[in-house]
Amino acid sequence: MKPGRVIGTVTLSQAAPQFRGARWLVVSPMGREELTGKNAGLSRESTPVVYDNMGAGLGDEILYVEGAEATQPFKDPIPLDAISVAIMDHHCYQPPEGG
Amino acid sequence: MLLARIDGFATATIAHPSLRGQKIVLCTPVDEHGHDAGSPFAAVDPMGAGRHAKVFITTDGSWTQGTVHDDTSPIRNQVIGIIDSL
Repeated sequence: MKPGRVIGTVTLSQAAPQFRGARWLVVSPMGREELTGKNAGLSRESTPVVYDNMGAGLGDEILYVEGAEATQPFKDPIPLDAISVAIMDHHCYQPPEGG
Repeated sequence: MLLARIDGFATATIAHPSLRGQKIVLCTPVDEHGHDAGSPFAAVDPMGAGRHAKVFITTDGSWTQGTVHDDTSPIRNQVIGIIDSL
């Protein structure tokens, strides 16, 4: 699971049939600077597109999973790489000084 | 398997059902000297590791599906050990 902030959505006019009704989020991964609040803007890391069935909206901070496990909630095979698993209400991230 | 340090936690009301009742920790990967070695990530922590504890993490989704008793869980990262010495 990785923390990320929702910075947009993607809609598709044509898609694989498995993706009918799917919702897609553009996510800015939250690294150390973003989690500690030092950077409230975009992260330097590349921006994954994440399948969402929780209704996360713009600005929400979410946890998402990348990899084969992203397809685990689906009964039938689905070509999926990343899925949202939680909308964070609150987080606390305090690495030790000089760590 | 990853070495990491517990640097925080997250709470979520809206989450995959397999996360219900699970403690979610935010970890920083560390190298063999205990220095930071990558971007933070989240994991479920059934062991209750304390703040800044060094832990051992599995990224094996099928193991975590067993411990959360949910075959449909997409969750991968789980704390499976608290490190005494490194």
